Amino acid sequence: MTRSLAGQAALIALAAVVAVIFPHLVNNYWLSVGITALFYAIVAASWALLVGYAGQFSFGQMAFVSMGAYTSGMLAKYYDVPIPLGIATGVVLCAITGCVIGYVCLRMRGPYLALFTVAFSEVLRIILVSEAEVTGGNGGLQIPSLFRGRSDLPYYYLGLVLLGGSLALMGWLVRSRWGLFFRAIRENEEAAAAAGVKVVRFRLLAFAIAAMFAGLAGGFFGHYVGILTPDIGSVDQMGLVVAMAVIGGPESLIAASIGAILVEFLLEALRAYEQWRLVLFALVLLLTVRFARNGLLALGADSVMRVFRRRDAATPARTA
Amino acid sequence: MQPLIEARGLCKRFGGILAVDHLALSVQQGELVGLIGPNGSGKTTTINMLTGHLSPSAGEILLRGERSEGAAPSSFAARRVGRTFQITQLFSRMTVLENMLVPGLARPHSHRAEATRQARAHLEFLGLAKLEGLQAKNLSGGQQKLLELGRALMLDPEILFLDEPFAGVNPFLRDEIIGLIQKLHAEGRTFVIVDHDIEAIQRLVKRLVVMARGAKIADGAVEDVSHDPEVLRAYAGV
Repeated sequence: MTRSLAGQAALIALAAVVAVIFPHLVNNYWLSVGITALFYAIVAASWALLVGYAGQFSFGQMAFVSMGAYTSGMLAKYYDVPIPLGIATGVVLCAITGCVIGYVCLRMRGPYLALFTVAFSEVLRIILVSEAEVTGGNGGLQIPSLFRGRSDLPYYYLGLVLLGGSLALMGWLVRSRWGLFFRAIRENEEAAAAAGVKVVRFRLLAFAIAAMFAGLAGGFFGHYVGILTPDIGSVDQMGLVVAMAVIGGPESLIAASIGAILVEFLLEALRAYEQWRLVLFALVLLLTVRFARNGLLALGADSVMRVFRRRDAATPARTA
Repeated sequence: MQPLIEARGLCKRFGGILAVDHLALSVQQGELVGLIGPNGSGKTTTINMLTGHLSPSAGEILLRGERSEGAAPSSFAARRVGRTFQITQLFSRMTVLENMLVPGLARPHSHRAEATRQARAHLEFLGLAKLEGLQAKNLSGGQQKLLELGRALMLDPEILFLDEPFAGVNPFLRDEIIGLIQKLHAEGRTFVIVDHDIEAIQRLVKRLVVMARGAKIADGAVEDVSHDPEVLRAYAGV
């Protein structure tokens, strides 16, 4: 095994150990921050899949979070549907809606696509506000919790499993031929089509898959919070997810997730500075966009890997 | 004998402009055809229609006798129709090998190991084997042209449409590309080549099709077409 591979394995192992023991090192408040960070990490990774890999600049990911959360929440509240089944239903609904949105947006690129998805998010949010009898409107909708008892610990470990599972699935996907086709479409749709890629099919798949993971995160987080408000799918929330993924690295699922976790913890840690923390956050974002287009973590990881590779190159090969 | 690809009454209208005007063209298996004409004569539009990148406004396209107008480019690619573009179109931030694997893995029932083996064989043939790990954007202009040709070869095409393969390449590379086309043609592949480099085209092809103002004005052996008065008037301005 080369040092660079060993380095990667060691970093992943260290991150896993820290993630597992984290709840035993912190109080309830920080545990709650951790659960929220895990939720954002799944959403940021799903956005990275859609934007970083497939090149479809969407602002609708939080709308799918909202759809997943409300679907599961309302099914559990009004029809006593078991929560896991409700979450699964939300995921399927998000996949179907993602396909429809992808189909409607087939001829849209860049800012037009982004604006369309903003409009979709707003339409969904306004419907949730307006249909208050069913959705609770701005006052919120109380929904059943996933676990009995008052401890947040089960939510944390479930969130960790969901994040790990989502990253593993999305990682497998981007390394498969589908991932290759997503990237080809991102780079040049016309050339991808000439190379035999069914561009329409794979654009729809990208929208549907990214929407599914967002819906899953929404279902999980909704039942953790226990009260749903339409603001969960707002453009502000979407902006936060975009910033998290951009700071981490939009073309890497893991970097986007870590970006989300770091930003969530930093924003909480700096809460005492009130509005100034947002100024700092905006500055970090500006510097990232200007100097590290592929995210701060990708920049840092590249530097670390360069050191490992240099050491690999400097180590004389062993002779038998 | 049934043509490999045939256009009947093919038209393409962009707003008020008739870019291709009732074009009739048939290409037999194993032919090497040059398609020339002044700028704006409709050559690239014709190729775009014959590879599914544009839908004709009217007319028919028959691929091995099967109606195909309006089919998606991926459908043409799946039926072994390859193409390159006037301005090289690569997957810039993907490696040379990944560029080759996209068409290799888009083929039905393909396997990664076999596609990788084929990709490496084509890269060897094109002289790009040592660059397989490099991002396509880091290749020189000439290497990018070769990679685009290689990507089309991954479809195992029966017919290849090359849109200006000699544009912007130095004479040495031009000769190399001519040699590669001749080798591929000798293997039985059919070519339709659009270019302004008359000398290169005349070295390569036996049949020339000339277009002007969207219509075909000549079609025949190189020596006949190059002395055709209408061609001289429309194409060379004589």
